[in-house]
Amino acid sequence: MSSRIPNSLEELPVSEIRWIGKGVERLEDPSLVTGRTEFIDNVVLPGMLHCAILRSPYAHARIVSIDSSAAEEMEGVYAVITGSDAARLTNPATTAPEGWGGYCLAHEKTRFVGEPVVAVAATSRYLAEDALELIIVEYEELPVVANAQAALADDAALIFEEHGSNVMFARKFTWGEVAAAFADADLVVADDYHWNRLGANPMETFGCVVDWNPADDMLTCRGSFQSQSHMGLARSLVLGLPSNRVRMISHPHGGSFGGKGGFRGVDICALLSKAADGRPVKWIEDRLEYLLAGAGQSWDREYTLELALKNDGTVTGLRVKLLDDMGGTAEGFGAVSAAKPLAAFTGCYAIRAAEYDLALVATNKVPQSPYRGMGPPPHNWVLEQTMDKAARELGLDPAEIRRRNYIPADAFPYTIASGNEYDSGNYEAALDALLDMADYQKLCAERDSARADGRLVGLGLVNTVEPGVFDWNAYAIVGMESTGVPEGITVAVDVMGRITARLGFSLEGQGQYTLVAQVLADYFAVTPADVSIVYQDSLSAPPHFGPGGSRLGVAITGAALGAAHLLECKLARVAAVLLQCEPDDVEFMDGFLRLRAMPEAKVHFAEVAGVMLARSDLLPEDSDPQPQATYVWTAPGRTPADEQGRAKSYLTAANACHLVKVEVDPDTGTVDILGYWLVDDCGTRLNPVTVEGQTMGGIAQGVGAALLEEYVYDESAQPLTSSFMDYLLPSVYEVPRVEKKALTTPSPFTPLGAKGCGEGAMHTTPAAIMCAINDALSPLGLSAREVPASPRRLWKLLHENAD
Amino acid sequence: MKPPAFEYASPASVAEAVGLLAERGFDAKILAGGQSLMALLNMRLARPELLVDIARVPGLDSIDISGGCLGVGAMARQRSLEFFPGLADSHPLLLAGLRHVAHPQNRNQGTVCGSLAHADPAAELPALAVATEAELVIEGPNGRRSERAEDFFVTYLTTTLEADELLVEARFPLPAEGSGWSVQEVTRRHGDFALAGAVVTLRIADARVADPHVVVFGVGAVPLRCAAAEQSLDGAEPGPAAWKEAAALVAEAVEDPLDDVHASAAQRRSVAGVMASRAMEEAAARA
Amino acid sequence: MGENKPAKVAVALTVNGRSVSAELEPRVTLADFLRVDLALTGTHLGCEHGVCGACTVLLDGRAVRSCIMLAVQAAGHEVTTIEALANEGELHPLQQAFVDKHGLQCGFCTPGFIMAAAELLERDPDPSEQALLETLGGQVCRCTGYEAIIESVRDAAEKLRQQGVGPLELLAAALEKKAAPSGDDTGGNGGGE
Repeated sequence: MSSRIPNSLEELPVSEIRWIGKGVERLEDPSLVTGRTEFIDNVVLPGMLHCAILRSPYAHARIVSIDSSAAEEMEGVYAVITGSDAARLTNPATTAPEGWGGYCLAHEKTRFVGEPVVAVAATSRYLAEDALELIIVEYEELPVVANAQAALADDAALIFEEHGSNVMFARKFTWGEVAAAFADADLVVADDYHWNRLGANPMETFGCVVDWNPADDMLTCRGSFQSQSHMGLARSLVLGLPSNRVRMISHPHGGSFGGKGGFRGVDICALLSKAADGRPVKWIEDRLEYLLAGAGQSWDREYTLELALKNDGTVTGLRVKLLDDMGGTAEGFGAVSAAKPLAAFTGCYAIRAAEYDLALVATNKVPQSPYRGMGPPPHNWVLEQTMDKAARELGLDPAEIRRRNYIPADAFPYTIASGNEYDSGNYEAALDALLDMADYQKLCAERDSARADGRLVGLGLVNTVEPGVFDWNAYAIVGMESTGVPEGITVAVDVMGRITARLGFSLEGQGQYTLVAQVLADYFAVTPADVSIVYQDSLSAPPHFGPGGSRLGVAITGAALGAAHLLECKLARVAAVLLQCEPDDVEFMDGFLRLRAMPEAKVHFAEVAGVMLARSDLLPEDSDPQPQATYVWTAPGRTPADEQGRAKSYLTAANACHLVKVEVDPDTGTVDILGYWLVDDCGTRLNPVTVEGQTMGGIAQGVGAALLEEYVYDESAQPLTSSFMDYLLPSVYEVPRVEKKALTTPSPFTPLGAKGCGEGAMHTTPAAIMCAINDALSPLGLSAREVPASPRRLWKLLHENAD
Repeated sequence: MKPPAFEYASPASVAEAVGLLAERGFDAKILAGGQSLMALLNMRLARPELLVDIARVPGLDSIDISGGCLGVGAMARQRSLEFFPGLADSHPLLLAGLRHVAHPQNRNQGTVCGSLAHADPAAELPALAVATEAELVIEGPNGRRSERAEDFFVTYLTTTLEADELLVEARFPLPAEGSGWSVQEVTRRHGDFALAGAVVTLRIADARVADPHVVVFGVGAVPLRCAAAEQSLDGAEPGPAAWKEAAALVAEAVEDPLDDVHASAAQRRSVAGVMASRAMEEAAARA
Repeated sequence: MGENKPAKVAVALTVNGRSVSAELEPRVTLADFLRVDLALTGTHLGCEHGVCGACTVLLDGRAVRSCIMLAVQAAGHEVTTIEALANEGELHPLQQAFVDKHGLQCGFCTPGFIMAAAELLERDPDPSEQALLETLGGQVCRCTGYEAIIESVRDAAEKLRQQGVGPLELLAAALEKKAAPSGDDTGGNGGGE
């Protein structure tokens, strides 16, 4: 869209920037701190029923028979549906790669423990769960494919028989002269790694309230949706409804971190509602369901990573081999997480030759779903840890080996070997700032002295690129080949001088509404409290996608500024009539449309709005009388992926450098984090408090990833991590205090130079902690190459010299 | 995650409560603080037909010092004991142990006796009861009986309580003059159940260890009092050598340690010894 | 499953200063009673097994996990939920502190944190770091990494100390004012609200 979006704060039509760049009080907060925000479980509709789901106790089984008669006859039960109903009434889920999905209820067979098999709608959740106990399902167990290695075996049972294999995807991507780099290397350093499943676990699980109106075939879905338009289109395809008969109403979420999709729940409730004569049906996924089979499991990976190096530490080639266990279907877009690493494959380093040997397999575990970072966190870990290994072999300090490989500050925009373009960055400045802030030399000396005392103290110094503002072409290699992720906002002004912004996403916690208010306040010279944000549903909102891939802050800034500018132009045309001049003679400053040549001749935008609304007779013939404008922002310059997956995908490249000090207790296998320092650079900080909040949240999740969080399965793919007693979220005690410093290298490509930053520290913290642990263990000649570094694993390493 | 249906009774006396238990046997379950039971109910892992809520039996929430013991009634909340006036002086070990039990929000509701009756092997209170030689007072249809803590815990989540019996009081002997004490445990996170833990009390008399009590928990089905380790400590010169020898005996004494995602059996055995050793050292420093 | 439907139990308690009575199945949790029967949806369900603390309310001024309590256990007691804190649109100092210090992102865990902090600060107006961590350690947040929450509670403590009042004392005073016989409308209070 053509609108001149201001590129810098200086270009905004105000003489003083009062709001952007400050940690203003959030608009969202008064409602949240009083408990008034309408999370989906608050919704009560007339006649509403409650859904409970009977799930498969087997990882792989044929469904022989289902007897739900007793449940159907139970008082208070209004509908019972099974996989046959789903097969009859719906289409299978769209997946990436295509063809690896099923129905919302298991049909003919189940592919993972916890897969929905039967669903009930009753007058209360208590009753619905009672009804489940009356249902008898007969299963015939099938051989279980318990992990990725088993999936590849010649005699492996097939998860999807029609595919003839469990390999969803297997390809090797080669960028640059990889073979030559390795052949000519002075040193090749390699290692194997294992990253175990973990996942988003927002404090609020998924929920929805769906009604399928039999009179007009209108499907209304209320829920905790991250991307309502996306979900709406998918519902239309799956349920066979016209796209304009599906209305998605997204409620504020209690966090998401990637996975708030929940298509099965929505479709199940839709079918139940249809069966219950259109009564709304609510399903709130409980925590046990979420852990068992929700959109909460990600990154089940075996890596082999090789670096080709020169003796001076320059890395000339990188080979990554990844075997990723996708689980029973591809419905959760877990494959996307295996593709995203292309956006920053070589990290901060100027490595010109790289290779990605990627295999995604189906097993009888839960389908993988998105989680913050969307794939790079494990990739960054294995890259950084191998860099450290190389440093040790070459006798180089970890800071030094990295410094020698950085993309130089004057080389941006820089296209990496795997095709994406980094917009800007200064990695050496970040490193130097960090070494200085943490007094690295002193830390090294302290570490060495502790080591001499026999203590296992270690330092981990890592740096990463944290890609922001995603586009679909990042995932082209797994079948998502388009480009274009829109975000539209309609900005309206009124006769009282207030601003209303209408948009198509609900809150997740990143303060996005406040950001829009800040931007508009500094455009129209009002306060954020003068701006009202109005959420609109999928059928009403301007084109939108919502949060994801660290895009929304940048996207809504662009959309808000674009709409503001378009509106300014409209207002100027009307002001020109009032000021009796040409529109080009009018400028906008501090809320006033004024004659550039004689600024005392001015009229406030509220007055102009009043004229537009009351005196359309005065307006130029072809002008739109509404004092509002809509702008849809999409990232500029995205390119289609080539046959090796190379594309300009993620628009921005934030970067961070983290330093962690840990101590490993050799007697217990536990890890204490003794210190944490970081320098990060995400360009212009439109709301620095929000950014810092994202950083700390990312660090907490990173600590959880490195030390605590894991979904464990047994050899029959039975999940062993069934509650929060076993899936361990970091508490206040486990998250360290962090000393932070921000650098600002603005993006040349985004409105106001901000970079996407929401996924932030999650890209980096797991690597930092693992590298620190390995530094601590290095005098013993041991290396920890499995995440999480649980006490069980570390103790075994230390005492049994085994992995 | 909603509980299955059950009947509910809120008796006004111990006799009434015991009468209900006698009538319904293992189909009835006592509800005190509910911090263990309710989670199981929500998950439908426990399916009692009748919940007997003893919260309204007068006098069951007493905490008092008498006969050289700290007596804690069945409905006394863990937090109430934690804030019992003077506990830091009268029984610092109990205070320290309580602070390891879950979180204040749980301790506000959870009861001391409830934790004992629940008998989770990784819980602190059963181990403290064994280490302090606490006496459990149990009421049944045939009257009252007393049992030593060490005999009370049978196996994983199982005590000697019969279906018709109610634990009405736990009596913790006050520590002897000059006692040193320590609770050491390894947890994945602060407030979690222990992977392995140890409780040690001892005195130093004439520069020698006296009256040692060494209990490890989280490693087997019940808290384990390590007689061999205590024998080794008794009369020994306090110091690393004594701790090391005793700790080795602790590790040896651990039978069938739990093996799970948090720690292996071998690890628990070894860490039990480490915890015991650290606890001995700290107890000696306090003695 | 028994053939007979278990009898409902009569429950009477005080919630946010109001007398409430109801007849419930005994299995209804306190959290569900508050959220569904009383439409006090500020108390949230994050795990329903007593770990995350999103459901924290005050029972006679003590922070408890309402998801692992039965409503019938609260009979005869006083329950305080997040809805009691703000006074006619004005935020309670604890709430204001969370806003001022950005102690929330998605806000789902926030009512639980605030109620837990309320108990702490009532008892201990100038808590040590250890006391602060002990209370906060029983509540889980997935968004903030806790740093801003710690700052918020410290700030609330400071605000309250300056006012010379405890967080619950403040509530009680506001409730008393509301209950004063000057045209208050408590209206009917039977059968739950």
